[in-house]
Amino acid sequence: MRVVDDITAILTGLWTTLKHILRRPVTVQYPEEKRTPSPRYRARIILTRDPDGGERCVACYLCSAACPVDCISMQAEEVEGGRRRAAWFRINFSRCIFCGLCAEACPTTAIQMTPDYEICKRDVMDLVFEKEDLLVAHGGKDARYNFYRHAGIGVTQPRGEGAEERPPVDVRGLLP
Amino acid sequence: MRECIFIKVLMPKLIIDKREVDAPEGVSVLEAAQSVGIVIPHFCWHPALGKAGACRVCAVKMLDGPVKGIQMSCMLPVQEGMVVSTTDPDAVAMRRQVIEWLMINHPHDCPVCDEGGECQLQDFTIAGGHGIRRFDGPKRTHVNQYLGPNIEHEMNRCIQCYRCVRFYQEHAGGSDFGVMGSAGRVYFGRFEHGPLESPFSGNLVDICPTGVFTDRTARFRARYWDYDMAPSVCPGCSVGCNITPVARYRELLKIVARRNDRVNGWFICDRGRFAPKEANDPLRPRTPLVDGREASWEEAEDALLRRLNEIVELYGEGSVLVVGSSRLPFEGASLLPLLSGVLSSGAPGWFATRRETRAAHAAVSLMTRENGASMADVMNAGCIAIYESDLREEGPMLLLAVRQAWRRGAPVLLVGEHSPLEQTRAVGIEAVQLHYMEEAPLAIFDRPVVIAGTKHGDPEVMAMLDRTGARIAALFPGPNGFGAALLSAEQGGGPVGAALASGRVKGLVAVEADIPAELLEGIPVVAALDWRATSAVQAAAIVLPTTAPVESDGTYVNFEGRAQKFCRVIRPGLPVKGLDPAGHPPRVHEAAPPGGDLRPAWRVISDLVRLAGGTPPEEPLSGRWARLAGLDPEGEGMVLGGRVLPNDA
Repeated sequence: MRVVDDITAILTGLWTTLKHILRRPVTVQYPEEKRTPSPRYRARIILTRDPDGGERCVACYLCSAACPVDCISMQAEEVEGGRRRAAWFRINFSRCIFCGLCAEACPTTAIQMTPDYEICKRDVMDLVFEKEDLLVAHGGKDARYNFYRHAGIGVTQPRGEGAEERPPVDVRGLLP
Repeated sequence: MRECIFIKVLMPKLIIDKREVDAPEGVSVLEAAQSVGIVIPHFCWHPALGKAGACRVCAVKMLDGPVKGIQMSCMLPVQEGMVVSTTDPDAVAMRRQVIEWLMINHPHDCPVCDEGGECQLQDFTIAGGHGIRRFDGPKRTHVNQYLGPNIEHEMNRCIQCYRCVRFYQEHAGGSDFGVMGSAGRVYFGRFEHGPLESPFSGNLVDICPTGVFTDRTARFRARYWDYDMAPSVCPGCSVGCNITPVARYRELLKIVARRNDRVNGWFICDRGRFAPKEANDPLRPRTPLVDGREASWEEAEDALLRRLNEIVELYGEGSVLVVGSSRLPFEGASLLPLLSGVLSSGAPGWFATRRETRAAHAAVSLMTRENGASMADVMNAGCIAIYESDLREEGPMLLLAVRQAWRRGAPVLLVGEHSPLEQTRAVGIEAVQLHYMEEAPLAIFDRPVVIAGTKHGDPEVMAMLDRTGARIAALFPGPNGFGAALLSAEQGGGPVGAALASGRVKGLVAVEADIPAELLEGIPVVAALDWRATSAVQAAAIVLPTTAPVESDGTYVNFEGRAQKFCRVIRPGLPVKGLDPAGHPPRVHEAAPPGGDLRPAWRVISDLVRLAGGTPPEEPLSGRWARLAGLDPEGEGMVLGGRVLPNDA
């Protein structure tokens, strides 16, 4: 019967409401109260340093190529000693969708996502971060990795003395 | 009447991946596959250098026919009845394993390698299915060499394909670079540190399938996927090699060779590749100037016409001279007579000296579409005479072509005192020196070619070169030298130097012309249309800034009369680098880039003609030149010939 069905539906709804009145509220009183996101949460992007304190970013352009919204731009340059780094590095956070593809593409673990999600600004231009805003003084989630030790070319160490390398061959030697 | 002879052209039929392929006899299975669009990975094989069988990565499986089993497709000439599979599991496994071996010693440095993104090794490693390194033993390393300011050496990346040494020693005839060591220690370099001596050493950058040789002038600047590129023509000399300029953030970074089998083949010379990047010059004129003060285009154009008309009224007709040059693209050059028309100044001047003018006129008027020698003609010549020319200066790529002819047995004769022996030594060939053109026994050889330089050539001798029966290649001072000579010869253009020195010229319009500063002294009104900061721009009261060749479309007519189109690579404007003192690019962008209000020379000329009451054509290449308007920039170009008649169009 239709009347019985209607009354049942109303009572079911009321019962759900009454049940939740007695429950503890789930609303977080942000900003007075804040939840701690997991370390793998994807928010503000940083540029980390290797264990020796050098800039990890070699400005290889892979993050800007991977970025689906084209919010990363940079210019590579060579510094004394043959190290490659970014002359300037810019992330436009007003355009960033925090997908994490840049961090995934990074071959040196330089670019990393952090759980710092509070990056609202009153002026949109303040969301355009330059290299000095992005660069931090630590190694982020992987503090030990140093790309140049494994690169296989001598930049931070003499040639042939990196990890997984033999000393340079003597090309004039005749021994087999 | 000659008897008709039927020659049976041998075209063996073979089957590649279930597709029937007809290939001319002598080509390899790899080339036959490529002709139908089947790509077989390869490193040591190169279209211009042939095969070496060194890399072992082009393995295919022969299912049936005269040869069976796994074979190297670059080493195997096609034969009737071959059945080839490139996708057979055995062949695929072989290629994957070979790639894995090649990668055993390859460093892990793609992020800091300039080849990354344009690397054949990267492409074929991924394509071959070797994604993750299994061998965890140590890698062999080498010590790099300093190879000069232009080329960076990183031997750890080498995969021993031998392309570099085959190009350097066999193709380009260099002797200071080679291969050393044995077994797994093979080393490609010089015996000791030092700049590479060959004038074609830059091709090692293009030819290396990985990053052993990279362009040092563009080191760590950009990646392939971000490059601004367009088909272009080298402005370095009158040979007109096809190039691809590479730019990023409105800055020209480097020059890469572009294939055109009718002109430069696969390679270009170091002079063109490593030429100073003048388009980036911060001192370039970027705004119209009147008496050193910035002005609008209208103001500057009005001032130019007003002052020159005053000169004409004061000193009479012929007191104003319009000067073009061999580097002015043909669009502007073909409109220049209209400008001198409205300024009542006779024919424009194109060449500096009387001798050079006469030599250029002589060269251009004896060349037809039939007797002009292209680069391919030089390569296939039976005998070559180089008349009064140092090809290292006037057309280096011809020297490489001369070497290919010499390798096939053609004698090389150097005629005249301005043809030094050092030029042939630079490409490792032996040549005979002669004093006069009459001494050259060209008639006893098949397919003789004379390469003549207009810079030092005697006009009298040049005018008679066609009587030798040889094909002729005349070299001009700039990329559009043939076009300039063509227009100059038609209108009877005189030498610029003599006209300026005579004192009759009171007003001068220099259109992309390099005029020595001392000749400009004492001329009351000098106007310059240019993109370089030349002495004429320095001395000019009115400067109209034009676009550099990389900033506009245009056409050059090269030494053999071949018109070739080049395309715009960069939008005009100051390079992003250096715009903001903080080091990064400006944070606020405007609609138009700063310093970008430049116009192509043809447009400025056309505007001036219109302002002076003339009727310039709507399009730069119209009327008799209309057929040049639709040239394909990636095509072979169009040979004009020296005697272009008005009804020829």
